[in-house]
Amino acid sequence: CKPLMSYLQDERLITIHLFFCFHRDISMNNITELPANVFRNLPYLEELRLAGNDLAFIHPEALSGLHQLKVLMLQNNQLKTVPSAALKNLHALQSLRLDANHITSVPEDSFEGLQQLRHLWLDDNSLTEVPVGPLRHQCNLQALTLALNRITHIPDNAFANLSSLVVLHLHNNRIQEIGKNCFNGLDNLETLDLNFNNLNTFPEAIQTLPKLKELGFHSNNIASIPEGAFRRNSLLRTIHLFDNPLSFVGTTAFQNLSDLHSLMLRGASMMQDFPSLTGTINLESLTLTGTKIRSIPADLCEDLTVLRTLDLSYNEIEDLPSFQGCVRLQDISLQHNQIRQIDRGTFQGMSSLRVLDLSRNQIKFIHRDAFLSLSALTNLDLSLNSLASVPTAGLSALNQLKLTGNVELRNGLMSKSLPKLRSITVPYAYQCCAFVACDSAVNSAEDDERRNAFGGEEEMERIPLVMHCSPSPGAFKPCELLLGSWM
Amino acid sequence: LHKQGSGVSSQGCQGGCQTCSVYNGCLTCKPKLFIHLERDGMRQIGVCLASCPNGFYGTRSPDRNDCIKCGSECDSCFNRNFCLRCRAGSYLHKGKCMESCPDGLVPSDTKKECV
Repeated sequence: CKPLMSYLQDERLITIHLFFCFHRDISMNNITELPANVFRNLPYLEELRLAGNDLAFIHPEALSGLHQLKVLMLQNNQLKTVPSAALKNLHALQSLRLDANHITSVPEDSFEGLQQLRHLWLDDNSLTEVPVGPLRHQCNLQALTLALNRITHIPDNAFANLSSLVVLHLHNNRIQEIGKNCFNGLDNLETLDLNFNNLNTFPEAIQTLPKLKELGFHSNNIASIPEGAFRRNSLLRTIHLFDNPLSFVGTTAFQNLSDLHSLMLRGASMMQDFPSLTGTINLESLTLTGTKIRSIPADLCEDLTVLRTLDLSYNEIEDLPSFQGCVRLQDISLQHNQIRQIDRGTFQGMSSLRVLDLSRNQIKFIHRDAFLSLSALTNLDLSLNSLASVPTAGLSALNQLKLTGNVELRNGLMSKSLPKLRSITVPYAYQCCAFVACDSAVNSAEDDERRNAFGGEEEMERIPLVMHCSPSPGAFKPCELLLGSWM
Repeated sequence: LHKQGSGVSSQGCQGGCQTCSVYNGCLTCKPKLFIHLERDGMRQIGVCLASCPNGFYGTRSPDRNDCIKCGSECDSCFNRNFCLRCRAGSYLHKGKCMESCPDGLVPSDTKKECV
């Protein structure tokens, strides 16, 4: 429906055309007032857009006659209360936008006549409490946002009759406490967004939400997640809980969540026990960092067969189990732990593994065959450990190798099993000579001398040029091993 | 024209812009408006809107309001997982676009819903 002004020719044409108009967009027009019966010629109107005007008041009869109206957009205006009188007879209304106004109060009868209402936006207003009364009869409501208001608490049975509600957004409020039964009645709720509030305790009220799939309570003040926290929410797919001062997580909190694809737990600083993930069989990404966890369950990979990324960095892990069952793992981060050795079976069978970070541990020993099956590994970081030697068998695809900070690693690296290496960092400059073209001044006599320095009987071969090796040898860091090492 | 370096200005901007640049249109919007990036050949032009265009939904946060793409099968949506109106060929049921309706419901082509 074009604006009226553009149809000046044939008045009868205008009148007919308008009569059968279904959509009207008069947004962003600085309209300050809607007089009575202003849309009386548009009985078939289904969508009316009044967004972005300056409406502070709507005459009770302004919308009368709009019996077919399904969508009413009043967002971005200056309303201080819900214009309940004007809405009363919109019996076909399904979507009502009242977001981005200055609404502080919702009269009890606000939505009384709106029996077909499905989608209600009340976000970005100044509400200090959930409009429990006005929502009481909205059994057809499917999506509601009360985000970006000043709501401080949610009383019990706040949404008791909203049995059709699927989506509830409450993010960016000031919610500190919620009743244990505040979500009673939301039998079909799938998405609950409590992010960016002031919750001090875990929202146990979620236990009355059997259909919940998406839950967010990140950026709150929650210190602990109790045992069995989600035991009644078995359909959960995503849980966003980062940016909480977590110090404790119940070991049974994340069990039997067979639809959960990703779990991210950071900085639960007092957590000591690895959470049990039995039954959580479709996890593809697990991040558990910044805890006091010292060991990983031996049966971890029995359940997590589709895991692709595992980040257990910044814990206190000493020993590693075998990750053999996690056959799809592509990325393992174990840096910043207290791991001492890598056994033969630790990474056995992990032919999909591409990135392995074991830096900043205390690894003294790596079994000769530890990397044998890592045919897809491209990045291996062993820096800042206590290694005296590094096995290279199996690393045919390795592209980047980091060994800096292994001060006991004095011998040269046998590069023949690293054909694809393009970048390497080593403890000592002379070790780069095996990988990069050293100064031309070096003659064959020095070549022999260097070969002896690298353990004599094993042939020191040069592989095709490595693009980057550091610390690179130079005038003051010759290829010879002189009196210990030059860093 | 009050320049703030690299062609960004806060005056002479269109509609609900707070700051804009000649090349990219609106960079930030006035409070409560959504910023939407329209494609113009190789360029992205920022525009400030009171409601996001078809195929997008608005997300509000204290410091920024964005238009985000709905799911592929959805013409208009409440959030990424809850559709308000489906594209041709599928039917709306409780926020989901379905090719066939659940038991007990039948597809309505006029309403594009399961009824």
